[in-house]
Amino acid sequence: MHTYVKVKCNLGEIAGPAIKIVGKPANLVKYLFETYVNLFDAKKENVELKKKLDIFQLENQKISELEKENKRLKLILHLAEQNPSKMIAARVIGEDIKNWFRCIIIDKGRDFGVTEKMPIITPKGLVGQAVEVNKWHSKVMIVNDTNSSVDVYIDGKNSRGILEGTGQTTLKLKYILKNDEAAIGDKLITSGKDGIYPKGLPTGIIITVNRNKPGIFADIDVMPFNNFKRLDEVLIIRKR
Amino acid sequence: MKISVYILTGIALSIIESSLLSFFPVEFFKPDLGMPFIIYTTFFLGPMPGLITCLFISLFQEILSNAPHGSIIFTKLSLFLMATFLKKNIYIDSKYSFSYICGGSTVIESFLFLALSILSKGETSNIMNVIFYTIPNAIFTGFVSIFIFSLIESMNMKFLSRE
Repeated sequence: MHTYVKVKCNLGEIAGPAIKIVGKPANLVKYLFETYVNLFDAKKENVELKKKLDIFQLENQKISELEKENKRLKLILHLAEQNPSKMIAARVIGEDIKNWFRCIIIDKGRDFGVTEKMPIITPKGLVGQAVEVNKWHSKVMIVNDTNSSVDVYIDGKNSRGILEGTGQTTLKLKYILKNDEAAIGDKLITSGKDGIYPKGLPTGIIITVNRNKPGIFADIDVMPFNNFKRLDEVLIIRKR
Repeated sequence: MKISVYILTGIALSIIESSLLSFFPVEFFKPDLGMPFIIYTTFFLGPMPGLITCLFISLFQEILSNAPHGSIIFTKLSLFLMATFLKKNIYIDSKYSFSYICGGSTVIESFLFLALSILSKGETSNIMNVIFYTIPNAIFTGFVSIFIFSLIESMNMKFLSRE
């Protein structure tokens, strides 16, 4: 009996490391099995997380859009708050069906007190004037329409000219004498003398000045401050 | 029934072009989505349906444009008259010949508008701008009219009688 116990103990001593050694792959198998099961779960979870990520990414895009809109609206609101009784905020809902004319359609009309020849602006500068007013919407002729003319001053200088639309992105500043002060980078503001636009509205910046052409006037190109293709909200200035 | 469907589709497409498509930063070309409906009704349904379609679509286009009052109605009516008189000499046998005619009509419309603007001095200025857009507009009107022709034909097959 004593011998049996001894042998058993010795076997047990051998068995211990053997179990440990044999147990290693078992642990590995167990580990692999658990990992596989976990992987299976992880795969499921991954699909769910991907879906969530897509949703969050979409929401994030919306947020950045909303942030941009918020920024724009804040600027509009800030401008409107300076003179609440004088301004009407409006949204751009469409544009001219023909590309021969530069016109936008806004969502405010007669019902909101809009009348023809009311100036339209954004925080950046001048947009144009209301030319046709309906009950619920109005058509606005943009300053780069070929029929548009605005009386302007060169900011800080004593030169005055007429800013005409060309139907393209840039505008033409006309009737500036060759010896008048006008240089690239000069800003233009409305003079208020045409009876439509109030004085001091920023309109654009001079990008080219050509004095080497025949005649007494310089050939001047102006880039408007607004990108008229990307207008979302505008302000209508009520006339007194 | 048939004309009202064409007119409503033409007006709907014009409104979509003015509102939804305005947010694409494309200025260089703008297809005239009302033109194919006017040409189609004039050539395939006769002068009276053509005249009605022409009046309604051109009126709506004028509502959505800053063009001088009556100018688009005038140019479209002139095109309708031309189409009525040339109907026997021009044969539309496929959507491609239809698209050529629509593209050609857009070119003629531009020149008619130009002539009208020059004759009625004071209404518009620097109007030579119109020439710049004539060819791109005509190409895209012709291109789009292929699809509009197919749309009208499928509407005829599914919902309207082919008469």
